[in-house]
Amino acid sequence: MNEALQQVINRNDTWQGHFSSQGLCSNSDGHRQQNTLSSGYSTLDAELQHGGWARGSSIEMLSDGCGLGSMGLFLPAMEALSAEGRWQVFIAPPFTPYAPLLEARGIDTEQILLVHPKSREDLLWATEQALRSTTSSAVFSWLGAHNYSYGELRKLQLAATGSDSLSVLFRPLDAAHNHAPASLRLQMREYRKVHILKQRGGNQHLDVELPPAEDVPNQPQLWEVPVWQESPQTQPAFAFA
Amino acid sequence: MSLWLCLRFHPLPLQCLNRSEKLAVAVLVKQRVFRANDYAAALGIREGMGAATVRALLADEPAQLLERDPDAEVRSLQQLCCWAYSITPSLHSYREDCLQLEIGSCITLYKGLHRLLAEVHNGIRSRGFQAEYGLAETPSAAWLLSFSHADLLTSYQQPLRERLAPLPLSLLPDYSNEVDSLRRAGLNTFGCLFSLPPTALARRCGAGFSRFLQQVLGQHADLRRDYQPPATFTDEYWFGYEVRANNELLPAVQLLLQSLCRFLRNTQLQTTEINWQLTGVDRSLRTICVRSTSGHSDSQSWYQLTRIRLEQLELKTGVEGVTLRCDRLDDSQLENIDLFSARTQREPLFALLDRLRSRLGLQAVEKVGCRNEHLPELALHVCQDTPAKDGGEQPRQQRPFWLMPGPRKLSRKRSHLYWQGKLELVYGPERIEDNWWQEAVSRDYYVARGERGQHYWVFRDRLHGGWYIHGIFA
Repeated sequence: MNEALQQVINRNDTWQGHFSSQGLCSNSDGHRQQNTLSSGYSTLDAELQHGGWARGSSIEMLSDGCGLGSMGLFLPAMEALSAEGRWQVFIAPPFTPYAPLLEARGIDTEQILLVHPKSREDLLWATEQALRSTTSSAVFSWLGAHNYSYGELRKLQLAATGSDSLSVLFRPLDAAHNHAPASLRLQMREYRKVHILKQRGGNQHLDVELPPAEDVPNQPQLWEVPVWQESPQTQPAFAFA
Repeated sequence: MSLWLCLRFHPLPLQCLNRSEKLAVAVLVKQRVFRANDYAAALGIREGMGAATVRALLADEPAQLLERDPDAEVRSLQQLCCWAYSITPSLHSYREDCLQLEIGSCITLYKGLHRLLAEVHNGIRSRGFQAEYGLAETPSAAWLLSFSHADLLTSYQQPLRERLAPLPLSLLPDYSNEVDSLRRAGLNTFGCLFSLPPTALARRCGAGFSRFLQQVLGQHADLRRDYQPPATFTDEYWFGYEVRANNELLPAVQLLLQSLCRFLRNTQLQTTEINWQLTGVDRSLRTICVRSTSGHSDSQSWYQLTRIRLEQLELKTGVEGVTLRCDRLDDSQLENIDLFSARTQREPLFALLDRLRSRLGLQAVEKVGCRNEHLPELALHVCQDTPAKDGGEQPRQQRPFWLMPGPRKLSRKRSHLYWQGKLELVYGPERIEDNWWQEAVSRDYYVARGERGQHYWVFRDRLHGGWYIHGIFA
């Protein structure tokens, strides 16, 4: 509960109704629910330990290059988090997120912060700052192909534990061979297919298909490619030239 | 009813120069002792003694004889004014070593005179000064009463004439001629003066003296301009020795920031920019500017931002002094935190932004927004402070998550497009035409699939030919 509010409740001249004990109970229930965040895909939620992304612990996403849908995986979560009105921080993103798409998906673009650190140290520092800050609801950090020691990653994991933000670290596929302190490590192997590499206290080493049926209709995030009227194979690219 | 509190800083000429009590310190004017500290007084040094007498009394004792510095006194008095402004808004400096505070209007605020006086007392003591107090209905009377040793709290409600009566007339050095002639007539105290008929007194001592007396008794208005806080803030801290390590600067930084924030709170102002100036031992100046996105007066967040800057700073020479300057002050706007939010947000949103910017630079943090445009590169707006938020119509067609900084040309080999592998067009086209008034653009956008199943947003330039990749579905 909010500290200022608690101070008011602690004063003996504050009138409280008889339902105060019940009220506190329901509040703590609410808290527990808020510590996990539905991923927006029923098949993935079923395999994840708490039925969604865990807040306050870092998620590693291993993927080489973009285009396999690793960000699309987090779009429903970003949409849910934008109700909190806090920052969603992108640290060292490979490109610029296309704001009209975010807007169309119901994500408040005013909350998006793009951070471009110049060195590896600055990248780690910025990620840690964003994780530690209570003003960020989601932190996406592209750690890149640098080598990171276990201690450095552990520091990020600790920073994530102290906060309640969704923290996602993007790393190359090679990193799968090394140990990492993250409690959940995912791999994007094919378009729309997530491989759970490691899940502390949950199912591991399995593939999860994301059903196209759960896409929000009429929203322009490409998951399922609409059927083309004419088959593209029959028409080579130069036919349009 | 107005009530004036006079704070008479008798040892001010001494205390603004040297506050040491470990050796005898005396301030001299024209080779006569003007003020001396307690240590010197214990040796028998009194005000008004000649310099030669003082040297004889000192013998081999460690001592410091200083010349009086009126500028330093004025500066100290200004700082004290700045502090006293937090107690009452109507005050002014008086003579050269006094402050006159009108406290009648704020006794209720402090819930009683004794609390107010305790507050004043603590404030003066924490600044390392000593003062005599006088309390009366008029400023001049309050000043006179600061010489009397009666208890303030019990005596201030007695009639003013009774309280002034035992004071000697020799307290008025400005009217030495009049006081002299009165003394010869056998009038030594204010009590004797008040028993004379006023007209006779005016004839004997002149209009100036009798007007002063009327001001003391509140029969004649004594109007003075109230103190106005300065428009900018400057404060400095001198170490007195050479500082080489950056983190040794931090205590001084904290002290100066606290003083700034007290000033800002008193004046109901905020700032978005503070300037630090480090003075090196070789008199070199180094300026550091710390900015914040939104104006505020919170010393903790300024401290954190300054620390980030100091961590990156390389000191070439030792530092001797730190100056904090703040030239741009704005009216404050209060920000409320949400009382009922269950989230644990403990600081305002701009705090993270400021921290990132102060280490990585202003350009390193950007925001995104949308413009109401057809061309994707124009629809996406990236900037440092306030991005556009036109909204416009929402795209109904497929749009990628990432947009490349600019379209990149695709290579073609035997009727196939290549981008990190062979591409295959899977969906399209969607025609986007715009910008005819400047440089006409006409493109057919397709969704293309790469070899490993990646999806890209590619287009064919209809006017100039050629295929380009513009975005990535991620």
